[in-house]
Amino acid sequence: MKRPKQKNVREKKAPRIKWRMILVGVFLTLLYGAVGAKAVFLHVVQGPWWSQKAAKQYQRSMVTHGKRGTIYDTRLREMAVSIDTTSIAAFPASVVDPPKTARTLAKILKLNPVRLKQKLTSKRSFVWIKRDVAPKDVEAAKALSLAGIDFIPEQARVYPNRTLAAQLIGFSGIDGQGLEGLEFLYNDHLKGHMVKQIVMTDALGRGFDAEKQILANYSGGNLILTIDRNVQYIAETALAEAARTNGASSGIAVVMLPKTGDMLAIAHYPFFNPNSFEDYRRERWRNRAITDPFEPGSTMKIFMAAGAIDSGICTPSTIFYCEDGRYRLGRNTIHDTHPYGWLTLLEIVKYSSNIGTVKVAESIGRDILYANLKGFGFGEKTGIACPGETTGLLSSATRWTRIDMGAISFGQGISVSAIQLITATAAIANDGVLMQPRIVKALTDNNGRLIQSFEPRKVRNVISPVSARTIRAIMNSVTTEGGTGVNAAVDGYSVCGKTGTAQKIDESGHYAKDKYISSFIGFAPCESPEIVVLVILDEPKEKHYGGLVAAPAFSKIAQDTLNYLNITPEEKLQPDWNRKMTLAKVTESKK
Amino acid sequence: MLLFIVELFGYTWCRVQCIGIGYEIAGETQNHQKLLKWQKHLMVELARLKSPDRVVRIARTKLNLVMPDPKQIVVIQ
Repeated sequence: MKRPKQKNVREKKAPRIKWRMILVGVFLTLLYGAVGAKAVFLHVVQGPWWSQKAAKQYQRSMVTHGKRGTIYDTRLREMAVSIDTTSIAAFPASVVDPPKTARTLAKILKLNPVRLKQKLTSKRSFVWIKRDVAPKDVEAAKALSLAGIDFIPEQARVYPNRTLAAQLIGFSGIDGQGLEGLEFLYNDHLKGHMVKQIVMTDALGRGFDAEKQILANYSGGNLILTIDRNVQYIAETALAEAARTNGASSGIAVVMLPKTGDMLAIAHYPFFNPNSFEDYRRERWRNRAITDPFEPGSTMKIFMAAGAIDSGICTPSTIFYCEDGRYRLGRNTIHDTHPYGWLTLLEIVKYSSNIGTVKVAESIGRDILYANLKGFGFGEKTGIACPGETTGLLSSATRWTRIDMGAISFGQGISVSAIQLITATAAIANDGVLMQPRIVKALTDNNGRLIQSFEPRKVRNVISPVSARTIRAIMNSVTTEGGTGVNAAVDGYSVCGKTGTAQKIDESGHYAKDKYISSFIGFAPCESPEIVVLVILDEPKEKHYGGLVAAPAFSKIAQDTLNYLNITPEEKLQPDWNRKMTLAKVTESKK
Repeated sequence: MLLFIVELFGYTWCRVQCIGIGYEIAGETQNHQKLLKWQKHLMVELARLKSPDRVVRIARTKLNLVMPDPKQIVVIQ
């Protein structure tokens, strides 16, 4: 009896289940539809936006600063190098207990705690505490784990030889930009490249697959100079000793190879240390051998003599009357240090007679004198690869008065730079061939591969080889007994040279009676010159003659440099060479 | 099915190894960079130690050396 009742119940429930199933089906369809629609919305409509958001979580931007390239001397010894350093900075808002942090950090970093506290309590969002911190100090500061203090990797320029060739090389600032000297001129080649890259990181922020970027070398190129570190040291030591002994305010010493024009040393006194350049006055930074013109004085007599001999108007034995020490030229009177009567051209140079020089200049005429000085490169830039080169001052011959020509012949009324003077003298040492002074030998890339090399460059033939040898014989007489440059003699080698003593012009525009520029220029050995050396001392106190002040420094530099360069002493090669190189012989060959 | 599961495990193992070695390479690269920095510091230190000023001072004061006189130089032909 129960079965029909159950059947009735089932029949009654069946439509309800059916409806429920339809409802569930519709609900699920709508749900899946919504999920599908959302998926389409996220992937198609918002796809790029979500992709970017995801990328931000696993990609990190990395900025790589390449190191500044190295500057080497001619034997590939480091003159300027970049190293990684750490600088310490603070985010003042995040610093906990600024007074205590300031005290602790100041002790480690050797800073003023009061000033440091001021920095840490400032309203700025970021402050530098100390740049280029020593590694041991960085480790000590890191160990403190101070809140709000950050350690930022940076690069620092180091000059391991300290003051050596500082004015020539210059320096770069804390931001890695070259500010002076070769660092400034070759900044584009030396500076490292800044590269921004995207690297993958994991959830902990660790770089992944970033080694390719890290290993890539973004350093700047290198510079190879013609400067020899040891010769530079020899020149600086001798120059400093001469300047201190004579109480000179400043000095310059330059060493050059006459055959190639390579500069082995460009030394300046007083020195400065480019590692802490801001501690020195700006005047000390300047490469004065290149930038500063000066009146050379009697060293110019050799170029006047070269013009006289090369033009064929004079020979070394041509005689001139030197007016017993006083010679009136218009309204001006020219004096000699000692009164002389008749002197040969050789003796005029040997004893450095101003009157004799004027007489020689008058005999050759202004046009030959001017053309000769221009030929030696005076009044124009030498083209050396250094910033700020001066042209010096050589006015046009058409504007010269009689006294102008006379004064220019013995080195007044004309201004030259040290580099012009040594380059011109090197032409005499190089059989009359003027070479362009070379300071940069080559540029290489960050792997040391050659990019560009600079070969020695001949500028022109100034005088004939025979004339050059004749002038060498005359210059040799200056350093022999009775000459003004006997103190420049070098043991074992013959020396050609010329002294120079020029009065300086004071503030009123007149020649000062107690301010001089003393100089000596010369080369050795005479027969086959290997080095040319120029020494200039500014305002020596007690003695002021170039032969007394600058010649001994020349002797010291030449002696040590010839020794260092392994130039065999002439005595060992040909004991009687000096006799062979007599003036008579040279004169004969000229004829 | 078994082959599929083995393949799945094999692939997972390879991926884990790849990531692990990737981290090792990254670590060693950093170490290499540290050593290069150290080498650069040592090069600078060497250049400083070999600076003519220091060498001459030691040669003259500690070793009592002097520059040879030209007469002391023997030329070997």
